[in-house]
Amino acid sequence: MKHDEMNCKRLILEYLADYEDGSMPEIDRRELEAHLSHCPPCVTFLHSYRATGRTLKMLKPREVPKNLAEAVWNFVRERCPKKS
Amino acid sequence: MAEDPNASDLELVRRIKRGDDQAFREMVERYNARIYSLSYGVLRNREDAEESTQDAFLTLYRKIDTFDESKKFFSWFYRVALNAAYSRARRRRPAAATVALDDFAPRLSDRRLGTSPEYLAWVDGTEDEVIARDLADRAEEFIDELPPPYRDAIWMVDVEEMKPSDVAEILEISMPALKSRLHRARLHVRQRLAEIASAPREPQAGQQRVAP
Repeated sequence: MKHDEMNCKRLILEYLADYEDGSMPEIDRRELEAHLSHCPPCVTFLHSYRATGRTLKMLKPREVPKNLAEAVWNFVRERCPKKS
Repeated sequence: MAEDPNASDLELVRRIKRGDDQAFREMVERYNARIYSLSYGVLRNREDAEESTQDAFLTLYRKIDTFDESKKFFSWFYRVALNAAYSRARRRRPAAATVALDDFAPRLSDRRLGTSPEYLAWVDGTEDEVIARDLADRAEEFIDELPPPYRDAIWMVDVEEMKPSDVAEILEISMPALKSRLHRARLHVRQRLAEIASAPREPQAGQQRVAP
């Protein structure tokens, strides 16, 4: 199956997430992989989808403010001097 | 054998319910960074995220008696923290303009994308550290463009790397619904990243932002 804008969009919207997380039935997986083997735009798209995942992982670790735990504790302590 | 985190949480919860403040301090130590990061995902502002984290722990302290011990503690507490962050977001800023759902649709035939060396380096993961970091910073902006249900899903799963089943539980949605939100959110961020990854960069990469 060659590149077809509408068909490829549908594959990406409906099946790519299942393909990537491994939940796609084997028969559908084989069909999708057969398509990928003939459709460079979809392959490039798949690679960029994975690159997005890698880029998002770079957002971690987020720097936590110093002494946050102490600030939280003091905040609660001021408002609830002693738990009854 | 690894300790069951929920069992360990429950032990602390029971001690806090009995008025053991040391147990509360241990809970703060255990969760403050994660709650801060979750809050930041909603609020995108360090000061707001810090204050929201404090609000979440205050609610935890005051309302812990209402926690049903047959449930997972962290799901309940993350829900508490999300509600604190949503409440603060409503008070602090008007709802931001978000992208339309149609914008999530993949644009395969966009010939401006997909051929530049910069784009190919991004796709292959061969871009240098500074450029990769710059793209990651921009990704945060693009996540912020999403409607909140999509934004929270992608933040928790792809940035915080939380288990999807846990996120579905916290957001009180089904796994298929979570997967759908995640996929559409990723498609949007991918499209936006592809646009800037395709733009030619100036020689001293990392010192400048690529014009949209």
